[in-house]
Amino acid sequence: MSAPEPIDVLFVGAGPASLAGAIRLKQLLGKAGRKESVVVIEKAGKVGQHNLSGAILEPAVLDDLLPGWRDQRDRFVSRSLANQVERDELYYLPNKSLGIRIPHAAVPGALRHQGDMVVSISELAHWLAGLAKELGVEVYPGFAAREVLFEGDWVKGVRLVDRGRNREGRPQKNFTPGETIQAGVTVLGEGSMGLLTERVVRRFDLDRGKNAAMFSLGIKEVIRLPAKNAFGSNRVVHATGYPNLGTFGGGSLYSMGENLVAVALVLGLDWHHADMNPHQELQVFKSHKLVRNWLEGGEVVEYGAKTLPEGGYHAVPELVANGALIIGDAAGLTNVRKLKGLHYAIKSGMLAAEAIFSALENGRCDRERLALYHQLLRESFVMKELAEARNYRQVFALAGPRLGAPLSFLQQWLPRLWSRPDYQTLKPKRLGESYDKGVDRLSDVAHSGTHHREEAPSHIRLVNPDLCQECKAQFGLYPCEAFCPGDVYSEVGSTLMLNPSNCLHCQTCRGKCPYQNVSWEVPEGGDGPMYRAM
Amino acid sequence: MNYIALVKQVPDTKHIPRDAWDWDTGTLRRALLDNVCNDLDQQAMAFALELRREIPGQIVALTMGPPFAEEVLRHALSLGVDHGVLLTDRRLGGADTPATAYPLAQAIRKIEREIFKGDHEYLIVTGMQSVDGDTAQVPPQVAEELGIAQVAYVTDHNIGGDGMLTVQRVTRKGTEKVAIERFPCLVTLTQWTLPPYPEFHQTRRAYSREIHQWDAEAVKTDPSRIGLAGSRTNVVKIFPAKEATQRRCLMVTEVKELVRQLKATYGSREEKRPEHDKSRPYKVPLGKKTDYRGDLWIYAEHGDGKLHPASFELLGKARELAVPLGEKVGAVLVGGDVVPLATELIAHGADKVFVVEHPSLKDFIASVHSLAVTQLVDARSPQIFLFSATPLGRELAPRVAYAVGSGLTADSTDLQLGDLKRGKLERVGILMQTRPALGGNIMATIVSQHSRVQMSTARPGVLQAFPPDPARTGEVIHFHPKLPSPDPGVRILSVETVPETSGLGGADIVVAGGIGCRTKENFDRQVGSLADGLGRFFNTEAMVGASRQAVEAGFIDRGRQIGQTGQTIAPKLYVALGISGAVQHVTGVREAGIVVAINKNPDAPIFRDCDFGMAGNVETVVPELVDWLNQKEAGGNG
Repeated sequence: MSAPEPIDVLFVGAGPASLAGAIRLKQLLGKAGRKESVVVIEKAGKVGQHNLSGAILEPAVLDDLLPGWRDQRDRFVSRSLANQVERDELYYLPNKSLGIRIPHAAVPGALRHQGDMVVSISELAHWLAGLAKELGVEVYPGFAAREVLFEGDWVKGVRLVDRGRNREGRPQKNFTPGETIQAGVTVLGEGSMGLLTERVVRRFDLDRGKNAAMFSLGIKEVIRLPAKNAFGSNRVVHATGYPNLGTFGGGSLYSMGENLVAVALVLGLDWHHADMNPHQELQVFKSHKLVRNWLEGGEVVEYGAKTLPEGGYHAVPELVANGALIIGDAAGLTNVRKLKGLHYAIKSGMLAAEAIFSALENGRCDRERLALYHQLLRESFVMKELAEARNYRQVFALAGPRLGAPLSFLQQWLPRLWSRPDYQTLKPKRLGESYDKGVDRLSDVAHSGTHHREEAPSHIRLVNPDLCQECKAQFGLYPCEAFCPGDVYSEVGSTLMLNPSNCLHCQTCRGKCPYQNVSWEVPEGGDGPMYRAM
Repeated sequence: MNYIALVKQVPDTKHIPRDAWDWDTGTLRRALLDNVCNDLDQQAMAFALELRREIPGQIVALTMGPPFAEEVLRHALSLGVDHGVLLTDRRLGGADTPATAYPLAQAIRKIEREIFKGDHEYLIVTGMQSVDGDTAQVPPQVAEELGIAQVAYVTDHNIGGDGMLTVQRVTRKGTEKVAIERFPCLVTLTQWTLPPYPEFHQTRRAYSREIHQWDAEAVKTDPSRIGLAGSRTNVVKIFPAKEATQRRCLMVTEVKELVRQLKATYGSREEKRPEHDKSRPYKVPLGKKTDYRGDLWIYAEHGDGKLHPASFELLGKARELAVPLGEKVGAVLVGGDVVPLATELIAHGADKVFVVEHPSLKDFIASVHSLAVTQLVDARSPQIFLFSATPLGRELAPRVAYAVGSGLTADSTDLQLGDLKRGKLERVGILMQTRPALGGNIMATIVSQHSRVQMSTARPGVLQAFPPDPARTGEVIHFHPKLPSPDPGVRILSVETVPETSGLGGADIVVAGGIGCRTKENFDRQVGSLADGLGRFFNTEAMVGASRQAVEAGFIDRGRQIGQTGQTIAPKLYVALGISGAVQHVTGVREAGIVVAINKNPDAPIFRDCDFGMAGNVETVVPELVDWLNQKEAGGNG
């Protein structure tokens, strides 16, 4: 049997950024008559199953990537075209029953969404993967990368996760060691909090002089409404104020067509309360009179969670190294003011592709040649818009949500504001409210479809269990037990027990554990949530 | 030696998205389920790949399906299989098992000719059944079409010093070692190893390889024997598997009251189940003639000189059906020396017992038995022929059905007579065969068509046997089959009887503990003592189970895990101790008779999904409960 042909360009993570990048690269290579191999690997069992977003898409970027896509006969296309935003509303919710609609004229331009499309990013990724394969991109879901292959100051590819170990870590009969994948260029499109990305950033000191990364946590349910419902279609609603959690954040409802509505709550990970339970707060948001009325008779069909990189302009690290680039959420390209990152992800992938193409033509994919990506990104709307919003999130972090909102209008004229990492913000104070209506957390976890091979070694470890006791002594409870959207952590007797098979791969624990005591590793390929309409 | 692995792409019934349920009809929207490789076919490929290391040769993966079934062949190639053959043709669609087995057998003949260059020395491996059809009929019917032996329920292999391939298989009573003496031979696998993982570089190669695509003509099929037209069964109705069994929790505060309630309700839910029995008995419409004529037969299974109780259940059903049809009930008794069993069959409802004796029929070899039974059917033409869905029945019935040109419904849970009107076509007094489908998620009612005999296997334990009547009389008819070739190509080397160990699935009572038991010591003490107590009280087997969290905490091994990722069980009584009752757990006991929950948190979700609940500490409630059970038992169960 012939040895596999070498991989010229490897994309890690089959999200919109990687897939758009792979598509653009194949388009450029094709035009130039070049035959370099472009490979995308993905840890989910099927492309799209680990992708979660709001998601409101500014479709111009798709017109750029795939001219004529609107004419395709495809479920994703027809759904997206049918879900153009017609009604776009912003509410301030002062308490649990009142909602004040902000007049359209008063809504800042960045928060307007008319003409955009509500899409499911799971479906988007699935669709893009199909198009990529037609162009000759190789897309392999079910393969999770565990390590970066470094060779001197070069990135040379990745090593995959071992499969078939037992609970104790010993090889089972079907043990398959993680293979090494050598690649000329490795493009990291892992998404938010990418582990390989972090290693590359650390190894080459790419975040020197940058702001600490900041994150938000997005919790989302897809709800099927009765055919007759109060919410209607082609409508997006953003609301802030309730629940009042003393942190940056807000809720949203997007109609997705076919009587489905996506309900989400986004919370800044720099919350202070030790008992913050974001899943519960989503239920509280759903109990607001206005929201409850819209969702009357609805039933949750899907659930998921992910973090969003919100450090913004000043937290974006250097995005190239010898043989490597970072794109999309992994690069921190989210505009928190616009509440959007999807079109940045797509654009960054495309620009990375252009830089790679040019470097391939020049015969060497080193840092200097790949740096064209930086230049293209700076010249594009991505960095321009991020620059405009450069202090937006930091204002909220420093001034809190009440003062932050008015200040955020001034943020671009403020000097560069620094930020603290999210794990340093927790205080031993409590929200102290428990709410047990709505969907319970474990039932929602079931709606995510998440699963992990029960005999596999736990992909989550507490580095030093004693620290957890210290944490409990300091905060009076285990904060992770409250905040984990997957109900992974639970107190049993006097210890903290893990249920790794509930994990949603959001990695909030890694970002928020005040003692930074959680080691989260990528589990075997194929494990994890099974999103379809997220 | 070469290998052919029969693989099938099936819907992923392990991960059913919530939205895939059609709430209005209670059925599954199959289109919303992912497609995966059938689990047992993975086992078959692992078998071939492992065996190939010792007896080198090529492995061909063969599947029949729509063009996108190519994906399952890519998967096969990524595991290390050498060739993928996709049998795809619109005309092959809508096929039942014989209309599937026939073109597959034709494709196997073509593989032998063209890929193996005429070499007969090959082994066909496949999963025992697919998770969607779950009939286990295609493999034996492929073997019947090819006229070769099949060894079913294989769990391991061994190559002797003389190079002889022997396989180990599971039988009803233990295991057998079977030598494969002639090739080709078909081997069906059951769960035996961990599924193999595709390697990355091999997967890459798999996608660059060519797949052989063959259509109906390429494999030279007879158009009348394929697709919808060649099918001998027809699905006439699909309906939800679950009646809405909303449990209403009755909270009790005293242990005494709980025991009283348990005693009053234990087993009651089960009696309600065969509700059809209460419905009006079938009557042939006035002035109409039934489509089929002749006796109603059952296959009498036996071992160690004793009849299998499931055969009595078949007799019970056959008797019931024979009355409105005005026909006789026949029992088919096959073996080496079986005459003494005939009386018992008559006592249980047989009017005729066909005794089929022959030295070659002493051991059960499906191909030989099938030949004998087929000759009897040809000679006597019954209208209905029922088998038990035991390992033996599931192996034999498909071959007989294929040989006599009849459809076969596998694993029926209900059999009724009925009339069917579809346009101009009117069918009278036909057998309506109902069975679970799609991993038990929906029910389907099936009728035979283009069939000489209406054949079905019935799930043991579902039909009702009549009490034996020693005064009944019947006729014993001897039949001497002509069995030309005494050499079936396989030989049973040894039989090992293993004492029956029933898993959680077989127990009448299961007591499960959760994280609320707090420690392993507590878990063992409380869960164990209550299981013992209830087992004694109801005089049956009671076993210990656990929630995932309890397993995770190391209270008990994973074999006892109940729920979505553990086992699904249907005991008469299920008791959850200190289990919060998340949906992931409750899913595993949906089919249980009575569900009892004891939990210290009165708001625990388990109380929404049980029949009786007690809010209280496991450590205080259970000892008290066990005391009560013991007292009651001592007091004559009063």
